Amino acid sequence: MKVAQKSLLAGVLLSMSSIALAAGQLNLYNWGNYTNPKLIEKFEKETGIKVTITDYDSNETALAKVRAGGHGFDLAVPSHSHLPIWVSEGLLANPRVDQMPNFKNVAEEWRNPDWDPGRQYSAPWQWGSVGIVVDTSVYGGDINTFGIVLDPPAELVGKVNVAPEMNDVITSAVLYLGGEACTGDKALLRKVRDKLVEAKPKWKSMDYGIIEKFAGRDLAASLYWNGAAFRARLKNPDVRYGYPREGYSLWADAVVLLKDAKNVEEAKTFMNFIMAPENAGLISEFARYANSIVGSEKYMPEDMATAPEVIIPREFIGFGKFYPTCPPDVQKMYTAIWTELQK
Amino acid sequence: MVIRRGAFVIKRMPGFTLVALACFFALYMPLAPLVVYSFNEGNNIALWEGLSLRWYREAWDNELVQSAAIRSLVVATVASVIATVLATMVALGTTRTRPYRGQTTIYALVNQPLIVPEIVTAVALLILFAMIKQATDYHGYAYLISAHTAFCIPFAYLPIRARLEGMDRVLETAAADLYATPWQAFKRVTLPLLLPGIFAGAMLAFVISLDDVVITEFVKSAGQDTLPTYMLGQLRRTITPEINAISTVLLTVSVIMVTLIFFLSRKKAK
Repeated sequence: MKVAQKSLLAGVLLSMSSIALAAGQLNLYNWGNYTNPKLIEKFEKETGIKVTITDYDSNETALAKVRAGGHGFDLAVPSHSHLPIWVSEGLLANPRVDQMPNFKNVAEEWRNPDWDPGRQYSAPWQWGSVGIVVDTSVYGGDINTFGIVLDPPAELVGKVNVAPEMNDVITSAVLYLGGEACTGDKALLRKVRDKLVEAKPKWKSMDYGIIEKFAGRDLAASLYWNGAAFRARLKNPDVRYGYPREGYSLWADAVVLLKDAKNVEEAKTFMNFIMAPENAGLISEFARYANSIVGSEKYMPEDMATAPEVIIPREFIGFGKFYPTCPPDVQKMYTAIWTELQK
Repeated sequence: MVIRRGAFVIKRMPGFTLVALACFFALYMPLAPLVVYSFNEGNNIALWEGLSLRWYREAWDNELVQSAAIRSLVVATVASVIATVLATMVALGTTRTRPYRGQTTIYALVNQPLIVPEIVTAVALLILFAMIKQATDYHGYAYLISAHTAFCIPFAYLPIRARLEGMDRVLETAAADLYATPWQAFKRVTLPLLLPGIFAGAMLAFVISLDDVVITEFVKSAGQDTLPTYMLGQLRRTITPEINAISTVLLTVSVIMVTLIFFLSRKKAK
């Protein structure tokens, strides 16, 4: 039977044999529901290049498929936390994004991120932050601190949610207690654990999907992502987003060219294309996160271009940081704390 | 005390109804909100805003959903047909012969996809197919179809084998006595009796292929998202009831198929 199956496979392989990838094609491997169809339509119309989009659901899946090789993709969109892995494993080609004509549109603060020094490998896609969402009709005090979830004021006790993301939660607590991200200081980590365990009974939940709960006023505060905070405010006008001054974390997804890409020129054309303000605006219009392109606000929907959740107010910009993936021994201690917190 | 003969009837055990109801509740209750919210008017999966078919329309009009659905149906049809043909041959080979050495081994080998964790098969196929893809530069549907065929075989095999084992050998022996060639006996006697089993197996294989996520996610090439992998990809952003609508349709298709299989395999083998 195995033989029968193999010969069948061989037969099918031969009969459907390789349709050579003709020029004028591009294979984009991106997060699901993350690419604006209007963006692709515009790109196809302007360049005549046909784009095929394939979805993935996690950095790990994407990395696994690209590592294995033979995937047939030209471009992928990893997160900043994983991008250095792609570079160090030699999975990427260097398209010199910093020398592309539209690179001039990339905002100053995005030209030299720690995770892609000199910005040679990656073209900006979208970025966001992890901060504090508060219903200000319940609590009117200062919301720009992790204290909202770690030492909840009396009004908020029992109405707090925390995103169930280990790194974000523990990093927030470390920063709140005056430590540095990825610290291995055991005395401090012990305090972090005690703080979290002490705070947990004052929380209502550790869950995703907060928008509807803020809309229904079931929650009054949460540690969460800015895009959701923005959408929650559209449904409940009392919702505000705080940028913790202890140092909130930023994330970014960026477009990279794969080493074994077949359509290199087309891929570079696409990378340059998305750095034009009108196209970056389309990216944000669909997935509702900020991009890094100066002048793209003009092309975003009105409610977005002025949203303090999307465009970080000037006084808070300095507090935001990209935190790297911590070394394995630190990660292990984080996991231990996390396990204890889940009990 | 009178002890009735044929004493053990599970339906008469104390608490049978309760346990059965609890099981059905645990099995089907989680599906209820999913189905209910697929008819939600608003774009929220937890906040009811009125009855509407809006999300069914949106899913129907969504080109990505359309192409993913067609791809799913094509892959499931081709894979289940091939799997059923192969499974029928294996079933005949493991029941209509004199017992031979290694028969149990073959049985175990065929059922391997039921035992090996899906993620293991997925990673193994990822690596193997990556090598083939690099060597041949072929990125077509053969990978998905052969992977689906492989894990569908045991699902097609089990009902067919069960049917064969329940069939009366006397009819086949009688055909042979009446000078039917083995091929004639198979075509005129065995196959017609076996057909309900074959259909049941094919449908089961079809449903299994239609629902697969893990292996498909790892095996698919560029532009080969099926309905389940498309749905998985939606999870990073806010989910709308469109996902509920698609899930409800998938669920309905699966339930209809399984009901058909039930009626087909209930037909008594004479």
